[in-house]
Amino acid sequence: MTTMLFDSEKIQSLRTQEPQHPWRRRTPKFTWSVALAVVIPALIAGYFLFATAIPDPIVIIIIYLPLQLLAAGVAAAVSKGKNGVADAFIYVLAIGGSIFSLVILISLIVTLFINGLKAVSVSFLTQNNFYISPSTSLEYGGVAHAVLGTLLIVFISMLVAIPVGIATAIYVTEVRGRAVPYVRFFVQAMSGVPSVVAGLFILTVLILTGAMGPSAFAGGLAYAILMLPTVARTAEEVLRLIPEDLRTGALALGSTRARTVLQVVLPAAKTGIVTAIVLGMARVVGETAPLVLVTGTSDATVYNPFNSPIAALPTYIFGNVAQPFPDAVTRAWGAALVLIIIVAILFVIARIIGRGKVK
Amino acid sequence: MSTAEFEKSIEGLEVELSDSRAGLPIEMDARDISVWFGKRKVLEGVSIPFPKKTVTALIGPSGCGKSTFIRTLNRLHELIPGAALAGEVLYEGKDIYSPDVDPTHIRLKIGMVFQKPNPFPSMTIRGNVLSGLKLSGMKRPNHDDIVEETLRAAGLWNEVKDRLNAAAGELSGGQQQRLVIARALAVQPHVLLMDEPCSALDPASTLKIEETIRELSKEITIIIVTHNMQQAVRVSDYTAFFLAAENEPGYVVEQGPTTDIFGNPRDQRTLDYVNGRFG
Repeated sequence: MTTMLFDSEKIQSLRTQEPQHPWRRRTPKFTWSVALAVVIPALIAGYFLFATAIPDPIVIIIIYLPLQLLAAGVAAAVSKGKNGVADAFIYVLAIGGSIFSLVILISLIVTLFINGLKAVSVSFLTQNNFYISPSTSLEYGGVAHAVLGTLLIVFISMLVAIPVGIATAIYVTEVRGRAVPYVRFFVQAMSGVPSVVAGLFILTVLILTGAMGPSAFAGGLAYAILMLPTVARTAEEVLRLIPEDLRTGALALGSTRARTVLQVVLPAAKTGIVTAIVLGMARVVGETAPLVLVTGTSDATVYNPFNSPIAALPTYIFGNVAQPFPDAVTRAWGAALVLIIIVAILFVIARIIGRGKVK
Repeated sequence: MSTAEFEKSIEGLEVELSDSRAGLPIEMDARDISVWFGKRKVLEGVSIPFPKKTVTALIGPSGCGKSTFIRTLNRLHELIPGAALAGEVLYEGKDIYSPDVDPTHIRLKIGMVFQKPNPFPSMTIRGNVLSGLKLSGMKRPNHDDIVEETLRAAGLWNEVKDRLNAAAGELSGGQQQRLVIARALAVQPHVLLMDEPCSALDPASTLKIEETIRELSKEITIIIVTHNMQQAVRVSDYTAFFLAAENEPGYVVEQGPTTDIFGNPRDQRTLDYVNGRFG
């Protein structure tokens, strides 16, 4: 009895082996059944779409989808046997669902661009609405004051909601005090507060009592009420995912609880925390109702967040969209486009901050 | 496939070997397996035959591709993004990577036990044992008998027979590992892959699992990755020694009967490794 040794000559000959992906190879039967399962339902649905008067959504939901499921099931049964059928169904439903949501999203963005681009120009982005009436032509006036207002209000709400939200999450996941179940319950309940109620609350507590007038600060506080539960709950989920070993590991090095949280847990959860902030921002940035109640509106550019009614993009859109003048409606579309572009920019900035590598 | 058919299909599958495996019926045969992750080649030209109803140990220092190799044997490797592979793995007379082979069937017949015990936390002990039947849609009568039989085979029956409906998470690490072995056995695999099954366990649990492996090898073929040299000696019939130079793909330096690899190795590096001089 003896052993087999490494065969260097054979290895030399194997050096020519190319990396392959054998699991991607398909049998001709599989390829054909997939091709047929894609083409046949599409042809039948195409016939109903173009040759009959049945409305398109009905064709797609009542005729195409079941047909596609059936075809995928048959194709799977033929090429992979009984076991493949359920896989095929899930595959079709998952792809169908993704396409459906993509179509909605893309058509929304396209509509926004088609209608909004007519209004957007350099002056639209740099001027305010002073001296502009709803019937003024599109060459004059802009939303710079409303962009500034939105940024101010969101910034104020972030100043309030992010520290409080993250502190709440830390209380729930790290401090684990006795009140945790109640805190979680209230945060959860708070996320159900309608935005108009948040606005009403600030209106009653701050403005009607005479503590302050309609202002960016009041708007920021109303936004903070809406942002807080989103930030707190998302941050909580993220902190929960940090393995317990990291915490015990830090404690075992003689770390205090505070340093464990600040130097080990939070940095480990950084990307997720940034996501929580982004989600909180996205939650509020388009909210109109609270602003209508507590910020008022203005046609001039306002820099002071405390003592003056201020314009914001949602209230600007709200004020223009119902006007009987086409140019005013176009301005509203333009402002909506600017709003989602601002959101997109904020998202990108947040991602860049969140990506930061370990030095 | 009936036994007769199976015997026929593996006829002529005997590989040219210069060791005592020559002439034995072969359960699985890995031929010229090379593995890449992205552009990086991590394993080169590994050819190991696995005779039926034997235990083969894969030993070698960390990072030499043993775990990667074992995952190519039941098509779990392809689930990693960027994974690529060359070579073939013959089982039931056929390359398991040929396009008309259903990977689900392969994973059913070639079971696996992982480094960390992974019982399903939402299921009871009994539910865990029977979960493979449910997940694969395999029909077997007499579930109570299956539970007892597999838990006995895994050496866990006496400890859990009174609390089969307790949550699996209540068991200790060693018990959990034996539970997942029982779970793997309930679907009657022909081959059981074990990726360092004892690395997180205490010596008593390890010993129990080793007994289980010896017992199981009367029925099925076992391939075990281990860092524990004594364990390889205790449980395996054959051993393959993997090695990788830094940033080079791993390969098999020497393979053969365990007694020879440990008692009479021909390569100096094997001798050094099995005597604990490096790695």
